[in-house]
Amino acid sequence: MIFDYTLRTVALGAGTLGAVAGALGCFAMLRRQSLLGDAISHAALPGIGLAFLLTGSRATPILVLGAALAGWVGTLFVLWIVKQTRIPEDSALGIVLSVFFGIGLVILTWVQRQPNAAQAGLETFLWGQAATLLTRDVWLIAGVGVVALSLLALFWKEFKLLSFDPEFGASLGLPMLRIDILLTSLLVVAIVLGLQTVGVVLMSALVVAPAAAARQWTDSLRVMVVLAGVLGGGAGAAGAVVSSTGSGIPTGPTIVLIASAAVVFSLLASPRRGVAAELLRAARTRKRVRTDAVLADLYALAAQHGEAAEHPHSMAVLRTMRDREGSLDRTLAALARRGWASETSRGEWALTPAGIERARDLFLGNGDVGEAE
Amino acid sequence: MTPDSPPAIEVNDLTVAYRERPVLWDIDFTVRQGTLTAIVGPNGAGKTTLIKAVLGLVRPAAGVIRVLGQPYRDARTEVAYVPQRGSVDWDFPTSALDVVLMGTYANLGWIRRPGKRERQQAEEALEKVGMSAYADRQISQLSGGQQQRVFLARALVQGARIHIMDEPFQGVDARTERAIVEVLRELRARGDTVVAVHHALQTVPEYFDDVALLNVRMIASGPVDQVFTEENLRVAYGGRVPFLQGVTGGRAP
Repeated sequence: MIFDYTLRTVALGAGTLGAVAGALGCFAMLRRQSLLGDAISHAALPGIGLAFLLTGSRATPILVLGAALAGWVGTLFVLWIVKQTRIPEDSALGIVLSVFFGIGLVILTWVQRQPNAAQAGLETFLWGQAATLLTRDVWLIAGVGVVALSLLALFWKEFKLLSFDPEFGASLGLPMLRIDILLTSLLVVAIVLGLQTVGVVLMSALVVAPAAAARQWTDSLRVMVVLAGVLGGGAGAAGAVVSSTGSGIPTGPTIVLIASAAVVFSLLASPRRGVAAELLRAARTRKRVRTDAVLADLYALAAQHGEAAEHPHSMAVLRTMRDREGSLDRTLAALARRGWASETSRGEWALTPAGIERARDLFLGNGDVGEAE
Repeated sequence: MTPDSPPAIEVNDLTVAYRERPVLWDIDFTVRQGTLTAIVGPNGAGKTTLIKAVLGLVRPAAGVIRVLGQPYRDARTEVAYVPQRGSVDWDFPTSALDVVLMGTYANLGWIRRPGKRERQQAEEALEKVGMSAYADRQISQLSGGQQQRVFLARALVQGARIHIMDEPFQGVDARTERAIVEVLRELRARGDTVVAVHHALQTVPEYFDDVALLNVRMIASGPVDQVFTEENLRVAYGGRVPFLQGVTGGRAP
């Protein structure tokens, strides 16, 4: 089945656009412009309808061109609203998104009522239908996608600077506005490329989800962009195949479900930024605070009694010194394991020389006690 | 320096307004070459706006700004900028060395990537601010002071003669403060000029040669021992002067 020509074509198209959207989505996310993707894709809908009305053709290049123009106009509207009014950016995005989408739906509904068979299929732009991709559509996607990725590679350092510190870039004399326009245009291109396959409603997920997942696994922009491209491409290809094999499920939701699974897994399981790792770290910290408290208490007891620091003390005394979370036995056992305390006789515990040193550090507040291993 | 060499920065009749509200009003301000100059003033005084206007980042409503006697765009390679640390997202996926490398982008031009030479320059700059050991660290894992030193290194790598800094000492540890002061003095020793927005009034006489007291208008500017007086501070801060006692350069007899 994988060798089915149509299926391969569809998978290639969806994979390419997923890779382009995923890679460019990293910059959108890092610039906190994830919502812009949503606005662009929704704003593209009236463009599709108008392009069909004006030309009577439903050839992909024509519809994509209409979508790109409308998406661009929508973006300019957002910028204009933010600049000219006191409406904040998120509201401006919301306004443009809903107004354009509403107009798009009106046009589409009107087109459907026309007694003209050629319009059949425009509504697939809502939820996406990879099965409608023709070979020449895939070539268009692949060609434009390669150009977009090449530009991304070419202007890599400019885009990085724009995303991290645009004012510094401007102070260097780089034309940050033009670089911004170029990057935003590439995002518009990536989004409209995906509209036929993924649909206007869910296209932004293919921009945001791979980036969000990739960010969890790396602290390098290069690795993040590559990983997001791979994730987006994989989700696109897999989703297109699943939906095209007669399940009747629209492609957009399928792709988005697969990409979301990657996000959920990454949020939970990534070793440094994941929820699981975070919980583990918190548990470790709590344990360390408990053991440090016992160390400090043993040390303080010895100091109060004017005894040598390695003098043993009973657990009963330790119990009275403060309310402790968790079991004292287990905390003492943990100290013994680390070689910081030892049980001299039953119920009597003393600091070892290493334990004394650490307790002194705690008392003196010597720097990164927490990181001592 | 010859007596007729132009001032590092010369601002004449500068007014900047956001919407209808003036943030800077009719500012005249001169920075002498080879000095460390502080810009002080209360919150909302327009300190950041003033340096952004010099850097061409905000458009003035009126006024003329010259850097080394030229418009900023012609003197740009002579100017390095250290923005406020809080102005960027430190969770950005990049390393300390990579941030410093951004200081070389201006000389690289379009499309070219930083190469071996640029890496070496960046490593030297990190060395100068005592951050060599952290070159490959992700920037969110650096302390505030270390982040500030990375920003300073990024400016050093530009090889400029005028260094404009927005609150370089804001929220840094004592060690970073010492490291930065040392770098500033080295810069001055080789004839460079530093202009810094500064908050801690008590360190102005110790760190800086000249000072500008700003509160939308320029209250006073010049050598610290002449203009950093109680009276000028009172005017600039509207009577509520923090840490006034024993601070001013015009020390009581």
